[in-house]
Amino acid sequence: MSSSTLNVARRVILQVVRDRRTIALIIVAPLVIATVAGFSIPDKMMLDNAAPAILATLIIFFGFLITGISFLRERTQGTLERMLVSPISRMDIVAGYLLGLLLFALLQTLIMFFYMVYVLSINYQGDLWQILVFQMLIGIVAVCMGTFFSAFARNEFQMIQFIPLIIVPQIFLSGLFIQTSQLPYVLEWISKFLPLTYGVEGIKALMQQGQSLLDIGKDIGILAAFAAGFLVLASLTLRQKS
Amino acid sequence: MTDAAIAVNNLAFKYGALKVIDDMTMEIESGTSYGLLGPNGAGKTTLIRLMVGLLKPAGGNVLCLGKPPTRSMAKNIGYMPQLPALYSELSVEQNIDFFGRIYGLKDSKKRWERVNEVIKVVDLWEKRKTQIVNLSGGMKQRVSLACAIVHQPSLIFLDEPTVGLDPELRVHFWDYFTDLTKAGHTLIISSHTFDDAAHCQRLAFLRLGRVVAQGTPAELRAATGNKEASLEDAFLYFIKHDEVKENVQ
Ligand SMILES: Nc1ncnc2c1ncn2[C@@H]1O[C@H](COP(=O)(O)OP(=O)(O)OP(=O)(O)O)[C@@H](O)[C@H]1O
Ligand SMILES: [Mg+2]
Repeated sequence: MSSSTLNVARRVILQVVRDRRTIALIIVAPLVIATVAGFSIPDKMMLDNAAPAILATLIIFFGFLITGISFLRERTQGTLERMLVSPISRMDIVAGYLLGLLLFALLQTLIMFFYMVYVLSINYQGDLWQILVFQMLIGIVAVCMGTFFSAFARNEFQMIQFIPLIIVPQIFLSGLFIQTSQLPYVLEWISKFLPLTYGVEGIKALMQQGQSLLDIGKDIGILAAFAAGFLVLASLTLRQKS
Repeated sequence: MTDAAIAVNNLAFKYGALKVIDDMTMEIESGTSYGLLGPNGAGKTTLIRLMVGLLKPAGGNVLCLGKPPTRSMAKNIGYMPQLPALYSELSVEQNIDFFGRIYGLKDSKKRWERVNEVIKVVDLWEKRKTQIVNLSGGMKQRVSLACAIVHQPSLIFLDEPTVGLDPELRVHFWDYFTDLTKAGHTLIISSHTFDDAAHCQRLAFLRLGRVVAQGTPAELRAATGNKEASLEDAFLYFIKHDEVKENVQ
């Protein structure tokens, strides 16, 4: 990893840390949502069933939101231009962002996961470390996706509109409510192109069926491809304008 | 030709159908201060963005230090955008330190020495630990300048650096700019004030994306044919001339 990537990551982290209210929200928001989700499903069995998919969805949601907005701010406040005329590469900028914000995405993931396990006492199977590794992968996809889509928003207002546009359809089509195989044919087909589908599939396999990372190689591979794809596309959006 | 810091050849740029830079040609010698003077919308910012490589020309070219502006020469270039582009949660010194880092000042002791030095140049020593959100507009402008020069670039682009500064600081800034050119740095400064213009060694008057006149302040004043003419008179003279030419065509 280049020192430029680390410099960008360091600055991104510093920015969040120096803003107390943001830090507080990053910690409180997942707690509130996990609580609401937990108590809205009083049936223990149902909660055990729903929890993995809810987790995957929230990781994507939070990761997308935090990176989308921060990267957009970088564009609108002009600091992105300053970085673009500096010697660091576009890939360093995107990768540095990713690395910095991933820290907070992971923090949120851990908060939600341990809250569900210890406070809502959901049952799960599978290895703890494998579950965490897979959740981290979902977080990486979310962060890459947020960086990419921020290129298509001119302001925060538009960025917020991307949530119903990009995230909500994934929630309905990823198998959170209905298994993808039971969706109408066209929607089932669409669901195959959405990252959350593989996030939900993989995390269910790990937490409900007690499978290992090796068993869900396909989901891991596809999610990694999504992450790499969004990362490359995001750095392409930083091209010289003509 | 050899010691031209910047050469602009038949440069053209459009935003959609709007011609913003129209067949512009100019040469800027190294070690001089060059002023880009023009009304709002004349194309000053667009020209600077083309010069630093943020925009791609629709026609013609820009050579910075003999080459099209690319990342390989970025460490020799400093760019202060028109609006202070800073990280509002970070402090003055954290902002400057970040730009020092990405410009490759790796040695942390030397970098901090330099950061402290530019903080003193922009006279913000007491405010160095203050977050940007808590600064006044003129102070932000000063931090923005500090970020643009922390890596001691030889070519410095300043987009309206004196806007919002009080008179005392303006004088202080111009003293500093003069020192920089004496030390061999090249400064490209956009402005609409004639106070700034008078300080520049050479000027280009811009209107609607074209250079309507260029030369030293004295040359431009003399060109009006009126011995008493101020730079402001000269500017209005050339703008009028250009308008007349346009109407004839
Ligand atoms: N992003 C953009 N999209 C479309 N048109 C633009 C854009 N930026 C600038 N323009 C247009 O290009 C022209 C030149 O703008 P520019 O910002 O270069 O002027 P300027 O000389 O820097 O003005 P000012 O003194 O107000 O800073 C203007 O007509 C402006 O409307
Ligand atoms: Mg401008």
